[in-house]
Order: sequence, then structure tokens, then C-alpha cells
Amino acid sequence: MSGLIINELTKKYYNKIALRNVSLNFEQGKIYGLLGPNGSGKTTLMKVVAGLHKQTSGHVLINDQVLSYKTKSYVSYMSTENYLYSSFKVVDILKFYKDMYKDFRYDYALNLLNDINVKLDYKVSNLSSGETAKLKTVIALSRDTDIYLLDEPLNGVDVLARDTIMDIIAKSYGENKIIIISTHLVSEIEKVLDTVVFLKEGAVELFFDAEELRQERQMSVEGIYKEVFGND
Amino acid sequence: MISLIKYEFIRKYKLVSMILITILALNLLLLTKGAGGSMLFLVVSLSALFVFYLVDIIKMYSDDLNKKTGYMLFMTPNSGYKIIWAKLLAAIIEGAGLVLIYFIFILINGAYIVVSMGDQIDYSQIVRGVNQLLSGTFGFNLGHVLVLLIAVLAFLIAFITTVYTAMTIRKSIFSEIKFGGLFSFIIFLLINWLLSLVTDKFHDIMTPYYDSINAVSNAGNISAGGLALILLPIISVFIIQAIVLTGFSGYLLEKKINL
Repeated sequence: MSGLIINELTKKYYNKIALRNVSLNFEQGKIYGLLGPNGSGKTTLMKVVAGLHKQTSGHVLINDQVLSYKTKSYVSYMSTENYLYSSFKVVDILKFYKDMYKDFRYDYALNLLNDINVKLDYKVSNLSSGETAKLKTVIALSRDTDIYLLDEPLNGVDVLARDTIMDIIAKSYGENKIIIISTHLVSEIEKVLDTVVFLKEGAVELFFDAEELRQERQMSVEGIYKEVFGND
Repeated sequence: MISLIKYEFIRKYKLVSMILITILALNLLLLTKGAGGSMLFLVVSLSALFVFYLVDIIKMYSDDLNKKTGYMLFMTPNSGYKIIWAKLLAAIIEGAGLVLIYFIFILINGAYIVVSMGDQIDYSQIVRGVNQLLSGTFGFNLGHVLVLLIAVLAFLIAFITTVYTAMTIRKSIFSEIKFGGLFSFIIFLLINWLLSLVTDKFHDIMTPYYDSINAVSNAGNISAGGLALILLPIISVFIIQAIVLTGFSGYLLEKKINL
């Protein structure tokens, strides 16, 4: 079965538990919101799925395969941190992706960057935080793959750039794809979410269909978020 | 693999170019001081290139393990084994390139020293000198040089893999421990200590072999083949050490890494 299955996933560090027995099933054709306050385990979960961190116990299946370097070809991860080579120009980053990923759509990326006015000859180190966020989103979503993990794509980005990024994300939706977005800016992304996962202190607090819950509780996702995390 | 090696060089070509331009400028400056300046340059540039090389190859790997830019490399669908072998091959190619560049500096400065001493460069004498080297008139020939170069290369590869393994252990098994640099160095010392124990045992086992080689070499001038036989055990140890440690690093990168 295609998709992403996380089963009893635990990630421990020496002095803390980042993820506690997390079990989740992500289906194709949906956009998921991974929501929770800072330190709730969102980034750790994404890094484990992307193969950058190893879990302490439990397992993750991507398209029926356990995590390995092979599953990295099914996952496109956009970290919230500045991970792009700062000495590279924008065009060099695109070439790197083209060389490293068979599924990278170079022309698609060029068109997107042209549309949002990010110049190819700019050095990464000279980009503003908004431009860097746009570039990271574009290169992650220009891979034609199965699972997209976007960690805080709207962090440090002005309102106009946020709209651009949300447009790029919406364009990338497809019935064979899984898009998982982590954020604490709930109101900004809730309109695109099909399903929402609330993480609290490394554990799944809620896992629900966004529209069903809105109708059931007569509240926005942000309202439910405040209700769940409000006292933290 | 080729893409991985290619981007190792793309990432560092500006720094390497800057270092080479600086060394070239230093050479031009010291050439104005006469033959003494050229000799000084050959000593200083050898030390500078060697230190730069070691710092560069260690820092590149350290950055990939410890900085967020390492995600660029480790997110790609390449196995840990492939990544570490690519790093090692890139380090060997870089080392060979720097040796070649230094050799060119030797030729240029050697010619300058001869000229500045008032002698004419006698090309026929150079050809004769090479011929003598080839025929073993000086007691050694290019075969000896080749054997020694292989031994040095094997030592260097073993050293680099030990450093890489120490850093990989730190970033995987002990990824949460503070003072990473210091801890990596302690692991490096421990690996070397363990290796020295194993190597000592190996040399003990090889004593009859060394005795037989001594009996042959004492008979007269040692040939290139004889030198190769003497160095064969230690070169083998270096190569086995490099393969085992690189394999172990690859396993850790694949199964245990926490970036």
C-alpha cells in the first residue's frame, strides 16, 4: 500500500523524549497539518521520516518500505532551518537538485522562481529571509515525488510572501501525493488542510478531519488549537 | 558517486583557488629575494599546503555532519556507504592535485635557483639525471619512489578514514554529547590506540616474514621489489584499516546518524 505509516515511533535524547509512541497513517491525496507548540515534536517527526534522525524505537513505512536511503527518493523535505549552501547561487542550487534527484523538475522550478521574482544569479547568502523561504519551498515542491514535508514554511516570512508560498503549495496538490505542513501559524494554513494532527509533548493529542471537526464543534482549526494548547 | 564527488569540489573550488593564488603571490614575492627566497618558499608552501589540505578535508566532513547544510547531502537518496566513499575519493583526488601543483612549483623554483646561481639550465643534464634515476645509478630508481609514494598514500588514506570514523561515531552513537570537537579527538585517539594494539599483534605474527626479508636485503643494495616486500605488511595494514573503518562509518551514516 502506498503512503506513509508511522507505528509506535519513539525518539529519545539523553535528557528528553521528543516523540512518544506516535502512530499515524497518512494517505495519498491529502494535505495534512502537523500542529503543536514549539518543542512538541513536529520537527523531530519530520526529520525521522526524512532520514536525518534515527528513531529510538518503532518503525516508519514509506510505500511499504522501511526507512533507508531508498525511501529518501520518495520524500521531499523542506527544513525550517537554513540548510542551503550559502556560497551557491540560486541556479547552482537548482543544478544540485537536478543532479541529485531524478524526479527534480528543473524547468518547473525555473518558471516558479521567475513567477515569484527570485533571481537565478543571486547568491543564497544574499537572499532575504522571504526569498530564502520561497526558494526552499520551490525546490522542495519541484520534485515530483510522493511525500512532501514542509517544516514551518511560513516562518519569518512577510504577508505577501506567505500568500506566494501558499499558492505554490496549493499548486503542488495531487491525488497521489501526501503534503504534510508543520506550523504554529494555524490561521494562515488551515484553509488548505484536509486533516490535522495535534502533537503535544511528543505524543499525538488529536488526529482529525478538518472539515468534520469544524462542523462538529462549530470552530475553526485555530480555535480548536487554542482550546487544546491554550493552557500550555 | 560522480555527482557526489563533483559537488565536493564545486563547494570548495573558491577556497582552493584563493589558497593557490595566495601561494603563487608568495612565490612571486620570494622570487625577488633570490635563490634563498625560492628555497624558503618551497619549505613554507609545502607546510602551508599540507596544513590546508588536512584542515580542508576534515572541515568539509565536519560541516556536513554538524552544520545544517549537511541536510543537502544527507537528504539525497545516496547510501551512507556511497557518501563516505565519495568523501574519501574526493580527498584522495584533492591530495593528488595538490602534490602535482607542488611538483610544478618545485620545477619552477628549481630552474630559478639554478639560473640565479649563474648556471645555465642544461636540459641534457636534466634528461641525464632522470635516466640515472631510472637506471638506479644513485642507489634508488623510480621504482623505489613509486613504492614509497604508495606507502605514503596508504598511510594518508588510513589517517583520513580514522579521522572520519571518529567524527562519525561522535555524530551517531554519541550525537547528544557536548564539546563535539574535543570528543571526536578523544575518539580518534582511542581508535588509534586500538589500532596500534592490533597492528602490534600483526607485526608479531609477521616476525618470520621480516626475518626472511632482512636476510635478503642484507645481501646488498635493496631493490625496489625488496623495498616493496618490506613495506608490504604495513601497506596492507593501512589498506585493510581504511576499508574496515570506511565500511564502519558507512554503516553508522546509514543506520545511526542524527544530524
